[in-house]
Amino acid sequence: MTITLGIFTVILLITVGITYWAARRTATTSDFYAADSGLTAAQNGFALAGDWCSAAAFLGFSGLTALYGMDGAFYAIGPLVAFCTVLFLIAEPMRNTGKYTLGDIVRSRMQTRTSLLAVIAGTVVVNFAYLMPQMAGAGVLVRLLTGISYDWAVIFVGVSMIVYVAFGGMLATTWVQIVKAVLMLSAGAIILVMILSQVSFNPLLLFEQAETKYTASYLLPGNYLKNPFDQISLALGYVFGLAGLPHVMTRFYTVPDAKTARRSVVWVMFLAGSFFLCTTIFGLAAADFLGQDNIRAVDKGGNLALPLLAQYLAGGKGSFGGDLMLGFVAAVAVATILAVVSALTLSTSSAIAHDFYVNWVKHGHVAGKQEVWIARAVSIVVGLLAIGLGILAQGVNVAVLVILAICVAASANFPVLVLSLFWRRFNTGGVIGGMTLGLVSSVLLAMIGPAMRGADALWPLVNPTIVSLPLGFLGGVLGTLIAGRDINNEKRFDAFLLQVHTGVERK
Amino acid sequence: MVHTRTSLEAAHASIRLLVEEKLRYLAPMTAIFLTCYIGLTALAAFAKPFVGLKVVGHVNLGFVLIAFNYVLSWGLAIAYGYIAQHKFDPLAARAAAASREAETVK
Repeated sequence: MTITLGIFTVILLITVGITYWAARRTATTSDFYAADSGLTAAQNGFALAGDWCSAAAFLGFSGLTALYGMDGAFYAIGPLVAFCTVLFLIAEPMRNTGKYTLGDIVRSRMQTRTSLLAVIAGTVVVNFAYLMPQMAGAGVLVRLLTGISYDWAVIFVGVSMIVYVAFGGMLATTWVQIVKAVLMLSAGAIILVMILSQVSFNPLLLFEQAETKYTASYLLPGNYLKNPFDQISLALGYVFGLAGLPHVMTRFYTVPDAKTARRSVVWVMFLAGSFFLCTTIFGLAAADFLGQDNIRAVDKGGNLALPLLAQYLAGGKGSFGGDLMLGFVAAVAVATILAVVSALTLSTSSAIAHDFYVNWVKHGHVAGKQEVWIARAVSIVVGLLAIGLGILAQGVNVAVLVILAICVAASANFPVLVLSLFWRRFNTGGVIGGMTLGLVSSVLLAMIGPAMRGADALWPLVNPTIVSLPLGFLGGVLGTLIAGRDINNEKRFDAFLLQVHTGVERK
Repeated sequence: MVHTRTSLEAAHASIRLLVEEKLRYLAPMTAIFLTCYIGLTALAAFAKPFVGLKVVGHVNLGFVLIAFNYVLSWGLAIAYGYIAQHKFDPLAARAAAASREAETVK
């Protein structure tokens, strides 16, 4: 406990130092929302890795593999494959077309106020649905790791993220993510080497031991994901949901051009992908070395499998090495949460300050200096709201919200984004249709499903993406057809395509 | 004025060429990773015994296919980087130049 707190205090001091440094360099809107688009591909790649790997990835994948075998490995590959979609379809067009938010793209395509409002709704719903379980998870995790109470843990995480975002904007958020990614990857590399040295550098032995210990069914799919359609829904949610997550996609605004955005995706695919691959090895090792019963005894969901494994490998409970590694991994887990919630707070504040207040309410007539202060104030409000929701969420099953966030991102934000970028006839009616049908069907189906209603579920799937994603596209197409042709919009499409593919903006 | 329209049209024409070129590479590449990943998921969901076939020692086909998906994603990412640099970027540069020319003439 003392070691965890000690290491964590060091990490916290570093991030506060970063925020102080970043705050002095954050004056314009471009600084605040996009770190003045000055990052290199490698920097953004690390930051993307820090942004995309939540505690669910850092701790959860290993735990799932330890307890449920192959299903954990399934969970881990999806988030890497998802970047193929982002790389091929979204990253470069995003960089070329937008400035600060997801809403920027649809705004420059449609140039209508209603479409902007639809995209703001998509961003805010996804971000809050993602933020609330992160805060609740932070409360549980920090309590488990440090012993402070749930409420104080949520408040501590919330205040830290408010400080990073409100003072340091995107620059501080980015460097918090980079620090976290470096720590996470180092912890992963150390644990990997320690595991391999135990099995004479032959990972196949881990499979053999696991099979001997837990029979062949442990290495088969279906131990965790019982419904086959849920499994496919989960996969679809990953591959198309990431591209609709505003807090990750806005990272592409922090680099100077599309080529750098492209290279940063390749970076994150190797950085985060290697880590995801390792979580499968960590999970098997945890099951082999620690035993599933011992993992379950500490946390039923297996979320502490990785810290416990690190402790075991470095000498076990009570030894100095063991406590040091446990403390290190635990502190990295907290840093992981901080990096993700900061990104969510920033991206929500950008949507509210830039898209809603400045562009919708004020028609874009707000001075840059003033906009920065508005965005800072909004980030404080968003942060306080997140703290409140996090405290309310204690003991409530928030798992449904995690599914909802990724499902809405895949079913509402992704169709609207793709159709905006690639379909000439797509119009404001389509934006509204796609957003509405995607969002409403996701929320409705998640609410009547087993995640919310348990045995009384009116509908069998926990994750509705397999139905709501096609509905989102259908809504986009139907809305477009019902609204009728918008000839001016279609004429502008050539100029828009030019901007999407080259970044050249014609006035 | 006539010149303006020609340059602008040239810009738009090269953009259409670029989009076609992108589709020619990206459609099959997208089909590949979607088939491999969703296909793997479908196999795991509906063909458990097949996924459980032992391939190397105690490692079954499912884990081999998962490993293949990692390698495939990384391979496609590198391939995309290469194709974008050698096929897409020159076309994009040509379109941008044509458009800038149209701008200056106007």
